[in-house]
Amino acid sequence: MNAIAPSFPAHVQTGALSIRNLSKTYPLKGRPVPVLQGIDLDIRPGEFVSILGASGCGKSTLLRLIVGLDPDYQGQILLDGQPLNGPGLERGIVFQDHRLFPWMTLQQNIALALKNHDLGTAQKQRLVDEHIALVGLRGYEQAYPHQLSGGMAQRGAIARALVNKPKVLLLDEPFGALDALTRVRLQQELQRIWVQERCTVIMVTHDIEEALYLGDRVIVMEANPGRIGEQVQLELAHPRQRDTALLFQHKQRLLAQLVGH
Amino acid sequence: MKLRNLRGLLLPLLLIGAWELASRQDAAGAYAFVPLATIGDALVELLGNGELLVNLLASLARTSAGLALGIVGGVALGALMALSPLANRLVAPLFHALRQVPMLGWIPLIALWLGNGEASKLLIVSLAALYPMVLNTFEGLRQVDVRHREVGQVLALGRWQQLRLVLLPAALPSIATGVLQALAFAWVTAVGSELFLASGAGLGNLMMNAEAGARMEIIVICVLCIGLCGYLMTWLSTLLARRLLRWRPTR
Ligand SMILES: Nc1ncnc2c1ncn2[C@@H]1O[C@H](COP(=O)(O)OP(=O)(O)O)[C@@H](O)[C@H]1O
Ligand SMILES: [Mg+2]
Repeated sequence: MNAIAPSFPAHVQTGALSIRNLSKTYPLKGRPVPVLQGIDLDIRPGEFVSILGASGCGKSTLLRLIVGLDPDYQGQILLDGQPLNGPGLERGIVFQDHRLFPWMTLQQNIALALKNHDLGTAQKQRLVDEHIALVGLRGYEQAYPHQLSGGMAQRGAIARALVNKPKVLLLDEPFGALDALTRVRLQQELQRIWVQERCTVIMVTHDIEEALYLGDRVIVMEANPGRIGEQVQLELAHPRQRDTALLFQHKQRLLAQLVGH
Repeated sequence: MKLRNLRGLLLPLLLIGAWELASRQDAAGAYAFVPLATIGDALVELLGNGELLVNLLASLARTSAGLALGIVGGVALGALMALSPLANRLVAPLFHALRQVPMLGWIPLIALWLGNGEASKLLIVSLAALYPMVLNTFEGLRQVDVRHREVGQVLALGRWQQLRLVLLPAALPSIATGVLQALAFAWVTAVGSELFLASGAGLGNLMMNAEAGARMEIIVICVLCIGLCGYLMTWLSTLLARRLLRWRPTR
C-alpha cells in the first residue's frame, strides 16, 4: 500500500531506482538496431533527475522500459532492490500528450488511477479532490478534456500520475507541447509539487534550462546508440530561482557541449 | 419556428401536390394514385378501429426486440473478433460470407426451420441488426488509440477493466454508428419479414391484407407510416447518441 501521508526529504526511504547494464534494440527491416546500450544509473530515493538529449536518442524508450510498457530488454531495472515486472502503481508517468481519456471528466480520469487501490470511496474522493487542488484545477472537476487548454490538460495528467502517491514519477517531455509562458508556469508548479511530495522523479526534456532549473542532477544522453554521457550534480536547494549564476554557468557549458563542436 | 426549419417540408408538399394532380387526370390515374380524400377517409377508419395502432405497435415491438438482440449479440461477437485473433480467424470467413446473403433471401430457409411465426421474424430482424453491430464494434475496437491503451496498462487495469473502461468507451462512436445502421436495417427487415411471413400482426401484414382487398389507400398509409416512423426513430437515436457522446469535441 502506498503511503498517503505527505513525506519529507529526510524520511524518503523508498523509490531508489537502479538500472544495470540496460540495453534495448528495435528491429528495423529485420535487423536489430541498438537504441539503448549499457545504461547504468543509480537514482536516490526522492532525487529529481533530468535527462537531456537530442530527439531520437532513446529517452522515451528508457522511460517506457522503466514504467513497464515494454518487457523486451536486456539488463536489470530494480526499484528498491526488487526487479520490476510490468507496470505498477508505484510508478507513474506523464507523457508529452496528456492522454486523458476524452470520454471521462477530469475527476473520473484522475479517479481511474485509484481504481485498483483498496481504499474506501470517500477516501478515494478525498484524494482526487486533493490532487485536483494540488495542480490548481479546482472548479474543473466535471470538465471533459476537450474543454481544457493544453496546459490544464497536462496539469490533469500530472494529477492522475500523482494521485497514487507513486514512489517514482516519470515525465516524458511533459511541457514540450506547451507555449513558452505556460511552460514556465508549469515548471514552477512542478517544483512546488515535488518539494511537497518528494517522490523520485525522472524527467526527460530537451530544454536545457528546464533540466537545470528542476533537476538535482542533469544527465546528458548521447545518441546512436543511446547511452549516458556527462552528468551534472546541482547542489542547490529547492525551490530555486531561475536566474541563479550557477545555473547560468551550467547552461552555457551544456549548450556548448550539446550544440557546439 | 424559423422559415428555414421548414425547408425539409417543401419537397414532400410538392410530391403530395403532384400526387393529387395525377389522381385527377383520369380513371387510370385515380386507380394508381389514390386521391388524397380517399386516403384521408381510410386513415380515419384505421385509426378509429385501432387497426393501424395495433399493427404499428406489433412492428415496433418486433423491431425493438430484434434490435436489442442484435446489439447485444453484435457487440459481443464484434468484441470477441477484435480482441481474440483466434476467434477472428475462426469466425471471420463464415461471418463475411453469410452477410453477403440479403436478409430477405433467408426467409424461405428460416420459415422452413422455424415456421412462419414470431420466432422466424425475430431471428431475421436480429440478424439484420447483428451485421452492422459486429462490423462497427470490430472496427471501433481495432482503432482504439494505442496511447490510450498504454494508459490503461500503466494504471494497472485488469483485462476486464481495460475492456469496460478504455476499449469500449473508445469504440463507442463507432458502436453508435452501428446502432443507427442496425436500427434502419431492423425496421426495414421487420416490415419485410411481415410481408413474407403472413401470420400475426404488423404493418407488413396490414399491407398484404390491403392488397388482397384491393385497398390501395391503406397501402399508401402503411408506406407513409413506415417512412415516418423510421425517420422518427433515427432522429431519436441520433439525439441519444449525441447525448452519450457529449464528451467528444464538437466540430
Ligand atoms: N516501436 C518502435 N519500433 C522501432 N523503432 C523505434 C520504436 N520506438 C522508437 N524507435 C526508435 O528508437 C529511437 C529512440 O526513440 P525514442 O526513445 O522515442 O527517442 P526520444 O524520446 O529520445 O526522442 C528512435 O530512433 C526511434 O526511431
Ligand atoms: Mg521522446
